[in-house]
This record gives sequence, C-alpha cells and structure tokens, in this order.
Amino acid sequence: MKTNYLFPNKFKKVGWIILIPTLIIGIVFLGAEPEFLDFKIFTLFNDTLFGSKDSRWFSENNLFDEIIGISLIVSSMLVAFSKEKEEDEFITNLRLKSLTRAVYVNYGILLVSMFTVFGLAFFNVAIFNIFTFLLIFIIIFNFNLWKFKKSAKDEK
Amino acid sequence: MKNNIKVERARNNMTQADLAEKSQVSRQTINAMEAGKYVPSTLLSLKLAEIFKVQVNELFQLEKKDWK
Repeated sequence: MKTNYLFPNKFKKVGWIILIPTLIIGIVFLGAEPEFLDFKIFTLFNDTLFGSKDSRWFSENNLFDEIIGISLIVSSMLVAFSKEKEEDEFITNLRLKSLTRAVYVNYGILLVSMFTVFGLAFFNVAIFNIFTFLLIFIIIFNFNLWKFKKSAKDEK
Repeated sequence: MKNNIKVERARNNMTQADLAEKSQVSRQTINAMEAGKYVPSTLLSLKLAEIFKVQVNELFQLEKKDWK
C-alpha cells in the first residue's frame, strides 16, 4: 500500500544520528546557558516574570535550550515518521496502534502529574511533555517492530 | 476470519518469502496472516487471490465470531 505521508527510509538513520547525541547533551547539560550562545534575537512575545529591559521586538536570550529543543523535535519526527525498509500494510497498522498507545501513556503521565505535581515543578513537567510524546511513540513503535520482525524467524 | 493461505501456498509450492515478494509485503506479514493474527486489507486479499488464481472467498472465510 502506498503511504505518502511518511519520510523516505534514509531519513530514519539521519534522525537517529541527531537524536541520540541531542538527548545525551540535553540531559547532561540540562539548564545550561553557555555564554557563546547569548544572543539578542527577534521576539514575537516575551512575558518574563521579572521586569526586563528588553525592547519590544528583541530580547537577550541564551540559545542553548532552543537548539536542543528544535533538534529534539526535528530528529524525533524523522525517526518516528520515516518509512521502514519494508513498509507494508502491517507496519502501517502497527504504527497506528503504537501512536494510539503513545497518546494513552503520554497523557496518562500528564494526568497523574496534574494532581501530584504543583507550582513551578508542574511547569517543568509540561515542558518535558512536549518532547516525551514523540519519544514514547518511538519506544513503543520500535519495540512492537522488533517483536514483529522476531515473530517469523522460523518458517514452517 | 479464517484463511487458506498456508494450504494454497503449499499447493503452489511457494515459501513464505516467495509469496511475500510476489504480494509486495514482508515475510512477517505473511506469517502473521497464516497465524490468523492479521486480517489483510482488501487490496492485499485481492492480490493474494490473484497470485493463487482463486476467488477471494475461496481464500478467506468469515467466522461466526466476526459478526460479534
């Protein structure tokens, strides 16, 4: 069956190559603000907690979290939505099932956090939740894929 | 849903890999269908019937539980 809403297979490898180092750097250097990434950049909205001296359209910002965030989203999208080498209708089906399960797990975690985590800590949960959905999907889908590929090792 | 894919495959002297190649799906998908774990799309059913040169309803049969 033709699926035209997925990236070509080779993008999956590219995705993994960006995703793994980004994930490691993002976790190890969580909250880091290296000086060389301080920039004054164009800003559409900026609602800082403390009064800022920034002008309306530009603000001082450290780009570390933006770079990690963008690279995480782009790379996990590539890993999640690239075709498999042998993309057939079973795998399309598996992808759909995994996507549904990932929604359950991701929003399950968010639901539990809603009545157990409060204040600024919940704000952090919400930020992580932006990225966890795709990551959870990748884990579930690849686990199912591995099970499926293992399923027919011995032909009768 | 029941199917006779395995029987037809044996009758035509094909391996799962042969059938997979002909019907443009993976061997695991053929395996899953033979094991009754996967119900193929109309498209794949028609392809399989054409490969075996049988009618679709000779290859696949409804079971009572499919109506529940």
